[in-house]
Amino acid sequence: MTIPSALNRDRAPSVPSDLDALRQRIEVTARKSGARAVAVALHDIESGAELQYDADRWFHGASTIKVAILLAVYGEIDRGRLAPQSRLHVRNRFLSAYDGSPFRVLADRDADSEVHAAIGKTMRISELALHMIATSSNLATNLLLDLIGLESVQRTIDQFGLTGIDVRRGVEDEKAYEHGIVNRVTANGLVALLRLIAEERAYSPELSREMLDILHQQEFKKGIPARLPREVRVAHKTGDISTVAHDAGVVYAPVRPPYVIAILTEWAADAGSRSPTIAAISHSVYDALRGAPSVPNDA
Amino acid sequence: MPETRAASLRIVDGFRLEKPRRDALMPGGALRDQDGRTRQLPRYFYEVESWNTAVEYELAPHFHLWEFIHVDVRESAALRFFPRYVPCAVLLTAAMLERFREAVGEPVRIAANGGYRSPQHELTSHASTHCWASAVNIYRIGDEYLDTRERIERYAEIAREALPGAWIRPAGEDRGFSDDHLHLDFGYVVAVPHDAPGDPFNPKLEGDPL
Repeated sequence: MTIPSALNRDRAPSVPSDLDALRQRIEVTARKSGARAVAVALHDIESGAELQYDADRWFHGASTIKVAILLAVYGEIDRGRLAPQSRLHVRNRFLSAYDGSPFRVLADRDADSEVHAAIGKTMRISELALHMIATSSNLATNLLLDLIGLESVQRTIDQFGLTGIDVRRGVEDEKAYEHGIVNRVTANGLVALLRLIAEERAYSPELSREMLDILHQQEFKKGIPARLPREVRVAHKTGDISTVAHDAGVVYAPVRPPYVIAILTEWAADAGSRSPTIAAISHSVYDALRGAPSVPNDA
Repeated sequence: MPETRAASLRIVDGFRLEKPRRDALMPGGALRDQDGRTRQLPRYFYEVESWNTAVEYELAPHFHLWEFIHVDVRESAALRFFPRYVPCAVLLTAAMLERFREAVGEPVRIAANGGYRSPQHELTSHASTHCWASAVNIYRIGDEYLDTRERIERYAEIAREALPGAWIRPAGEDRGFSDDHLHLDFGYVVAVPHDAPGDPFNPKLEGDPL
């Protein structure tokens, strides 16, 4: 595991006092977890404080790259090419980024059956965007990516000067994966992306809030929110394949401005305790920023 | 005059539509097919006033108008709003599909973007017969999705027997083949109903092959 980089206090008007202790807690949790790698990036909107723990290490992006696709879809909405109510043909046929050969998203590997049930019909862009994020539908993701194109995603990444986000193909493109064409993210990249949305700098405050609403409807809650108090709301996106488990989001605690966090982990294929590790780190961060131990929602 | 099933739909001359729609529909225009031959697009269209009209309008006992005009965001923006326009051949296509439906004995489902598509639709390439409303992409028959070679070929065989002269795209993954639907079409059919507006007879043009 890489030794974490230094705490960045340059922009911090009132840095929470125990971030150094937080770093140590993260390191202990990471070491005990058995993970091959753990990375954490944190940006506290209240103080401006940032914590970066191996935050520029590249990971397989898994489903976290869907946030970048969401941003690009809203870019097309901002440009007027699409509208949220625009309808899109639901068709399970995509072309590999490697050689253009067709492939399909397997229904039994997709967490969302509703989009598969609409094959042959149409769904609204807003519905597909919600399915892509809230239930991580791979079919919805590939449909949206197929519509806007990889170049639109890249243009969006360039437009906002994002580094640490590398989207090169759709999901379940096995042939591309076998040939090393992989979507990658860093913890810093995801935090920068989510800050755009949380700080309402993504196109317009209205469009940023629409994206945030979608992220708030995340249905997989075993990562960042799992051990936070019930009154805390998290707008986030998970990513989970055999060797990585990630969660990145914006945490809204009562009576304090939100913070943005990305927790990325890499594992042996049969490893357990993936989500509990993310939840533990998230809990530590929450307590550190709050300045006092909290009562987790599973207490 | 005997009443057709589509008698209550207004027939419009595409030449007389406002420019944005005319540009998208290209009435009477020409498209080049894959072999470089020119094919002339239809000029007369049924006007569809609303989605409700399309949903309620029965073109054949088991086919409604909406199934032939259900497109997505890839269709020209000028044609995604009502009133919408569909070439008059759609009525003949529905009649042929009804025969196919009788042969399979199950509901036949046309995919979105699988009925009429304008020449400006992003999926239109060359002289696609979808621009004549004489082609359909069938994605499902009864409970079966046509996403395997075996199913596509099985129903293609039924279509060949039930619809002599129909063209069926072969099953396969390569360009020019289909692997997730059955494509049926009846060629470059242009239908001009009896009550289509037309032009006054011009004796100077008599004998002009064009």
